[in-house]
Amino acid sequence: MRAPGFMLFGVLFGFVLSRGRLTDYDTMARMFRLAEFHVFGVIGSAIVTAAIGFWLLRRAGQRTVAGRPIDMRPKPWHAGAAWGGLVLGAGWRLTGACPGTSLAQVGEGKVVAFFTVAGILAGTYLYARIRSRAGTPSVSPRVSEALR
Amino acid sequence: MYHALFVSPWSWWAAGPAIGLIVILFAWIGGRALGVSTGYGSVCAAAGSHLPFFGAKEYHEGWRIWFIAGLPVGGIVAAVLAGGLAPTLAYGQLDILTGGSLAAKAALLLVGGLLVGAGARWAGGCPSGHSIVGIAQGARSSLIATLGFMVGGIGVFNLLYALFGR
Repeated sequence: MRAPGFMLFGVLFGFVLSRGRLTDYDTMARMFRLAEFHVFGVIGSAIVTAAIGFWLLRRAGQRTVAGRPIDMRPKPWHAGAAWGGLVLGAGWRLTGACPGTSLAQVGEGKVVAFFTVAGILAGTYLYARIRSRAGTPSVSPRVSEALR
Repeated sequence: MYHALFVSPWSWWAAGPAIGLIVILFAWIGGRALGVSTGYGSVCAAAGSHLPFFGAKEYHEGWRIWFIAGLPVGGIVAAVLAGGLAPTLAYGQLDILTGGSLAAKAALLLVGGLLVGAGARWAGGCPSGHSIVGIAQGARSSLIATLGFMVGGIGVFNLLYALFGR
């Protein structure tokens, strides 16, 4: 599939995020307060659905509908998953948004979401700057290979 | 029917499987693992950043920017079908927390966004790529990252509660 075609997936994903209340600050706040099951239900049932689909795709030879190999290796283990996860979680709680939902919010007309998107871009750049100066790749190839 | 699909919000048991289905079609038709946050790095690289970090292959996969460019369009479609696009500066309960000050709200969202962006690159993914796709693949890294998201978020809630009492 050619690159521009992926925009259609983006439209579909943004639409469902919006319809599923995942672009709503109060919904996210209630999740982190453990006051509402909704977001846990969404993520949990999405995982189960995707896992069944991935299992079927593996059984069918891990090929796309056009017969090309599907390129999806699981993310390798690294300790940054835990530390970065904590940092992202704190930001998710503050903004009520994650990289995907903030972009859908902008489309919905939640104008302040532009600040969230700008922050995420800046955070991405800042992390890359610090990592580039430290001279180490984000995931050590040695570590990822050892755990493969 | 129109109302249930396009106007009233979906239940978790509708939204979750719909997202799962999008992830499956993404792999089956697109041949890729769905993920959003790496696309922000692609934007940095495309904007001309020559940092070695953005030299990695994943930041130069053409589909990523197309994919995330579709997300706002999906938001527009959802808003229009639900009754019309009505741009607003309101942002739920955060308006109360920031006492109606737009500057305070903007600052909080910028700082929070900074944490989301840096955290996503450190963790190697975000709630879509890690929590949904990664866990569905059975990746340990994704499970730990997701636990991190929850602990980090719940920790900040407790801090806000201690400071502001809400």
